[in-house]
Amino acid sequence: MSDHALPAGAAAPTFSPKAFARQRRRAAFAEFARAFRRDRLAMLGLVILLAFVLLALAAPLISPRSGLSVVASQDNPRWASPSGDFPLGTDHLRRSGAAQFVWGSRVSIAVGLMATVLTIAIGSLVGIVAGFFGRWTDAVLMRLTDWFLVIPFLPLAIVLAAVLDRSLRNIVLVIAITSWPATARLVRSQVLTVRQRLFVDRSRALGASRAHVIRRHILPNVAPLILANVTLAVPISILTETTLSFLGLGDPNLTSWGKVLEQAQSEGAVLRNAWWYYLPSGIGIVLVVLAFTLVGRAMEEILDPRLRERGR
Amino acid sequence: MKRYVATAALAGIMGVTSIAVAGGAGAQDDTVTMTIGLLQDMSSPNVTVGYLVPEFEVWNLQYASLTDKAADDFAPLPGLAESWEESDGGLTYTYTLREGLKWSDGEPLTADDIAYTINRSRDEEWANHFSTVENIEATVLDDRTVQLTSSEPDPKLPTMDVYIVPQHVYEGIDAEAIADYDGMDGVASGQYSLVEWNSGQDWTLERNPNWFGRDNGIDRIVYRVFSNADALVAALQKGEIDAAHGFGAEGAQLLEQEDGIEVVVGLQGGFTELALNGMEGGIGDGHPALQDIDVRHAIYHAIDRQAIFDGVSLGYGSIGTTLSPSADTSWIPDLGDEGFEYDPAKATQLLDEAGYLDTDGDGVREMPDGGQPLRFRYVERSESENADSIRAFVTEYLDAVGIATDVEVMDDTQLYEAQVAGEYDIFVWGWTPYVDPDPMLSYFTCGQVTTDVEAAGYNDANWCSEEYDALYDQQKVELDPTARRAIVADMLRLFNRESTYLVLLQDADLQAYRTDRFEGWLRQPAETGPVIFSNSSPTYANLTVIDGGGDDGGMSTGLLIALIAGGVVVVGAAGFVVMNRSKRTADERE
Repeated sequence: MSDHALPAGAAAPTFSPKAFARQRRRAAFAEFARAFRRDRLAMLGLVILLAFVLLALAAPLISPRSGLSVVASQDNPRWASPSGDFPLGTDHLRRSGAAQFVWGSRVSIAVGLMATVLTIAIGSLVGIVAGFFGRWTDAVLMRLTDWFLVIPFLPLAIVLAAVLDRSLRNIVLVIAITSWPATARLVRSQVLTVRQRLFVDRSRALGASRAHVIRRHILPNVAPLILANVTLAVPISILTETTLSFLGLGDPNLTSWGKVLEQAQSEGAVLRNAWWYYLPSGIGIVLVVLAFTLVGRAMEEILDPRLRERGR
Repeated sequence: MKRYVATAALAGIMGVTSIAVAGGAGAQDDTVTMTIGLLQDMSSPNVTVGYLVPEFEVWNLQYASLTDKAADDFAPLPGLAESWEESDGGLTYTYTLREGLKWSDGEPLTADDIAYTINRSRDEEWANHFSTVENIEATVLDDRTVQLTSSEPDPKLPTMDVYIVPQHVYEGIDAEAIADYDGMDGVASGQYSLVEWNSGQDWTLERNPNWFGRDNGIDRIVYRVFSNADALVAALQKGEIDAAHGFGAEGAQLLEQEDGIEVVVGLQGGFTELALNGMEGGIGDGHPALQDIDVRHAIYHAIDRQAIFDGVSLGYGSIGTTLSPSADTSWIPDLGDEGFEYDPAKATQLLDEAGYLDTDGDGVREMPDGGQPLRFRYVERSESENADSIRAFVTEYLDAVGIATDVEVMDDTQLYEAQVAGEYDIFVWGWTPYVDPDPMLSYFTCGQVTTDVEAAGYNDANWCSEEYDALYDQQKVELDPTARRAIVADMLRLFNRESTYLVLLQDADLQAYRTDRFEGWLRQPAETGPVIFSNSSPTYANLTVIDGGGDDGGMSTGLLIALIAGGVVVVGAAGFVVMNRSKRTADERE
């Protein structure tokens, strides 16, 4: 419920405007939750997502960090197949595959989230400013956006990652720089429609500052759309991190799923049939990306007025 | 001297797994092509500036030397010269050239070419020739006779290990322009000439019809650059290539189980070192702590070379001790108790006593004045097949004694430039030495420390000492082999004590060839050496083509399973998404 239609439970007129808004939002959320729960695939996505987030958070409890140490792993067998001691076998440096899978989930998901936050922040800022101020501000920002949109995404990311030092921070930066334009376009279009609404004109006529209008009217109305966009941007960020790591452009000190795939390829896991080393990470990536996509699509359909209207 | 590489992958920058398409095996016409796969590209085919292993192989084939070297023991053999005579107590040698020598373009090859190359490379200090010709003056007596006079006694003579270049081509390139010359003239005095080079992909040599030696029946040799060791190993298994070089210990283990493929574990003195920036003369921006010999010693005691050898080399080669100056490893002296055994407690003690303490409790020590932390930049080579494994060990060992590292990944050219500018703290790279120890030893003299990329020396640790230089000058003119060995041993002990190079591994060149198309692969030196990319590459003249040899192809089952598994996952995921979309559309249409 992103529109200003009066919510069903808002009959009593005696509350302060703040309390009124709170109540309205609560009702909107309840409506959203109801719609979301009806979507079985979205719920499945949510469950998978929670499972992986739990895995990432509980990594230290599940598998000690020393499992990633080459020095501490010296006495393990090389390329051992899965067994009781090593549920996902060992790699070329005798490290536990399970430890790399568990700790890799942390890096992959964390990079995905951090990069998304940055992507959305840049995209939303550009979109809102361009959409709200219009005229030359809009023209300049949109040309900039177009410019970034037409540059082929992967080569740009590779070049940036190759030029910058290979660190976690820079990977996040590279992903954000290459993926903000889509969000900017989306947010701008929504801002344009919101800006035409009567209540914005009324508010302006009553003397509200531009900052006030953006904060109190524009932002709340584009927020749901941004939120849905976040869940759809995360899988793209995760895949980008994986791609860059697979190409050897990731942080060399960190174990991520993409890094595991890169090592599997460069260290002969494929020729050795050591499927236990690379398959879990590959499947992990597919599942997390799928889960985010399922949740994101559902949210988008519930929250995006255009998609919703078409559906009903 | 060659910068060696056991290596791989331009970090797969474009993500392309090179799969050789037109291998020599299936060629339809009468041209016999041999294809050799490797992971490293050339830096330049120009003899005055190239420094990587691949171009040395090209030069070995393209340029005959005055004297050749025996495959078995590097003893001097007739090359361009068919005979030589000593006079003047070893200071003068007179060489007589073979009759009717010609360059591949038909120009006569005379004593003028020899004298021109030797004198010019001395005057212009060509990096690959200079230490050999430093004291030598070449004089033309007649078309087939050249006289070399050394101003000092020279233990290397009569071997004259420089690539003779064609005067009629090189006299058109002056001293300023020569560093930028592309070296693609293809004018050969040796067995093959370089006709094409597609940087990052492959290069091709064609047989020189004017070469004085034996025709081996192979018309072309193609060197194909692969982006990773797995692709290289698979190409050899499939018969797309006839031989492979540098696929690493993992690949060697896999290939040893194959029928029809012979794995060669070649030892020719190559090693991998961990170098610390000595910042001689204050050049560059190395970490000040590395100037302190106690810190350098602590680093050496902190690292367990045995574990790195076991974990990374998998038994190929041996554990490093100190600088190996020659393809003949008997030049490495016994270091006794100066070998820096793995002893982290001693490392900790050294750092504590020298005042490098962790004052702010973040697990990283600081300089004695409490300021800058001991956080070193560590350069990992993107083109090395085992660099990331070595880095995993080294950074953990340093971390355990309170030294932090920031890993930077560089390709060979970037690292070379960082070395010349002195802008690094630690890097791991390797060398493959010549036969005579002089060139390798010369690299650590003060004259080789320079910040000028155009006239760069090879002293990549930016360390030097007067004592070392004095010993270097002594061995250079010592004709008694025993006495020279003693001096060289003193130099190496001094170098080891100064600890600017921690030699981690004594490397084996891991190579393999198919036994179905060519035979007569020669190891240099005998029994232990490599068959290709060896000191003077005698294999090529010794090969013969096996009649009816061919391709037996087929994709490895491992690769197939991986492709299928990958495909299933992708198709499954895609199917899931599509199903989800169509189902939703159906729901919504209700």
